[in-house]
Amino acid sequence: MINKRHIEVLIQKVLFFLGSVFVLSVLVFYVSRLAPGDPLVSYYGERAEKMSAEEREWAENKLGLKDSIHVQYIRWLQNAFRGEFGISYKYKMDVTEVIGGRIGNTLILGGIGFILIFVLALALGVLCAWQEDKLADRMICKVGTITSCIPEFWLSLALILIFAAALRWLPSSGAYSIGKENNLADRVRHLILPLSVVVISHLWYYAYMIRNKLLEEVRAEYVLLARMKGLCKRQVLLGHCLRNVMPAYFSLMALSVPHVLGGTYIVETVFSYPGIGTLTYESARYQDYNLLMLLSLLTGMIVISCNMLARTVSERIDPRLRMDDRRRYEEVDRS
Amino acid sequence: MRDGFQVVGIRQTVKPPVPASGSRRQGKPVISVLVLLLLVVGCLTCDIFVQRDPTYLDLAHSSVAPNREFVFGTDTMGRDIFSMIWYGGRISLWIGLVSTFIATAMAVVLGAVSGCASRRMDGVIMRAVDILLSVPSLLVVILLQAVLGKAGVLSIALVIGVTGWMSMSKVIRTEVRQIRNSGYVTASRCMGGRFFHILWHHLAPNFISSVMFMVIMSVRTAIVSESTLSFMGIGLSVETISWGSMLSLAEQALAQRAWWMIMIPGIFLVTTLVCLTNLGNYFRRRVNERHSNL
Repeated sequence: MINKRHIEVLIQKVLFFLGSVFVLSVLVFYVSRLAPGDPLVSYYGERAEKMSAEEREWAENKLGLKDSIHVQYIRWLQNAFRGEFGISYKYKMDVTEVIGGRIGNTLILGGIGFILIFVLALALGVLCAWQEDKLADRMICKVGTITSCIPEFWLSLALILIFAAALRWLPSSGAYSIGKENNLADRVRHLILPLSVVVISHLWYYAYMIRNKLLEEVRAEYVLLARMKGLCKRQVLLGHCLRNVMPAYFSLMALSVPHVLGGTYIVETVFSYPGIGTLTYESARYQDYNLLMLLSLLTGMIVISCNMLARTVSERIDPRLRMDDRRRYEEVDRS
Repeated sequence: MRDGFQVVGIRQTVKPPVPASGSRRQGKPVISVLVLLLLVVGCLTCDIFVQRDPTYLDLAHSSVAPNREFVFGTDTMGRDIFSMIWYGGRISLWIGLVSTFIATAMAVVLGAVSGCASRRMDGVIMRAVDILLSVPSLLVVILLQAVLGKAGVLSIALVIGVTGWMSMSKVIRTEVRQIRNSGYVTASRCMGGRFFHILWHHLAPNFISSVMFMVIMSVRTAIVSESTLSFMGIGLSVETISWGSMLSLAEQALAQRAWWMIMIPGIFLVTTLVCLTNLGNYFRRRVNERHSNL
């Protein structure tokens, strides 16, 4: 089934992906280096402030910060192609190692959160559509609107205040207690609060989408036909309407990855959870250039590929979107 | 089939008479608008009813729980939270408005240019928007803020505005594409109308309804961004009072279990956001006006 057209589309997509990553790397590189701040402080700590001019120069030479920014960028690019992303100034390790040690935590938090959001949003959306305009639906809509408005950081603070500071049920920060790194129960206890923040703050947005899409679907003519031939409400809603909504939901969920990821970053920072979110925040604030570059490229790549995935899914569902631009515009022009 | 036979698809063709009283307010976010107005008026006129200076550091009364003298308590630096709420609200709302204005202006201009431009130009602009959309906005905000140096009210509004126009401009572009070939636009062109004249008098009135929702949501996003940034210590400093910067003392407040320092600014923040959301949802097209077939 692979023909020339498919290959063309594939090449186009790969080029778009590479182009975006390139633009992103240029953007981050230049902006982070033009930003005021002293990367030497990140490397040498407080000693950097007491350095003499010669020592500074020697240190800057050593870290390759003396050259002009273009030279630095080209050198970074060359090294990156060989798979060397430099060392982190703060941790004095290879950046890939630093990230490798932390990324698992983020994946656990983000991944479980994402799955929970996916399932719960579907369930809530169907429930609301089922009970349309009845008491349950209205209540859920009201509560949902409020929860979706609460900023993540404040929700985290409120939960810490209630469950960690006042009731002392759950720990308020970190991913595990000291010395209990491999204790599963301990890890789960540390995960509950951050996870609930991630889920609560995103859940309603997607549940509401499902609800509205289902409500539109329920008004289609085929529902009447299905009802007339004797299917009950549940069969029509779950067997027909939900089925028609699902593809759009999948593409929506692909688009949601960046948002959930961004939310995870904020939550990680508030809970000082050792994931790549806290790492990104630290590296951006303290001019840990190499670390920041790789982290933003990583995040950017996830976001870009999810967006492309969402686009492909929606093109599959609605072939009108796939038509090449010219024909699409002619159609618009005619109308 | 539980009860054997069921009638489907029959609905009332005669609309039940709408009760006359309250019908005009039906479905309109009256409460949200009122609360929002109350907050805005309160923030604007707080010079009249607030007695304490919000910046005064009353070290003798630091971290006092809410009581009769300090209605909302004081923070760890001894500032009166009640007066901080109202003065801080000014800054928070102002940032929300200014950055929305910036974002909307950029979105309208770029969306309209892209919608009116040639196919190639349009493609270039839209690809650029796609790339910008794919950069995590928090990262951009942190970096831009670092470039602009010490955060002030205007610089933070600028940063949030500059990072928030992309999805709105996509919507506007689609709308413009659909209406740009209508007779009235051509007519206006023939009469020598400039680009901005057409944009303002012919295009904008048509896409305003679909953009209104996004504009209001963008106020909401801006307020959230400002408070998140200030809370994380990248936004406004502790001296500049806003709802976000009040929360940046949260760590000390948690240590002292001073719930009022966290809950009170947060409740004001969330109330504002909920009201804005309700208002925004009102502008969104309603889906369930027709009868359900289920």
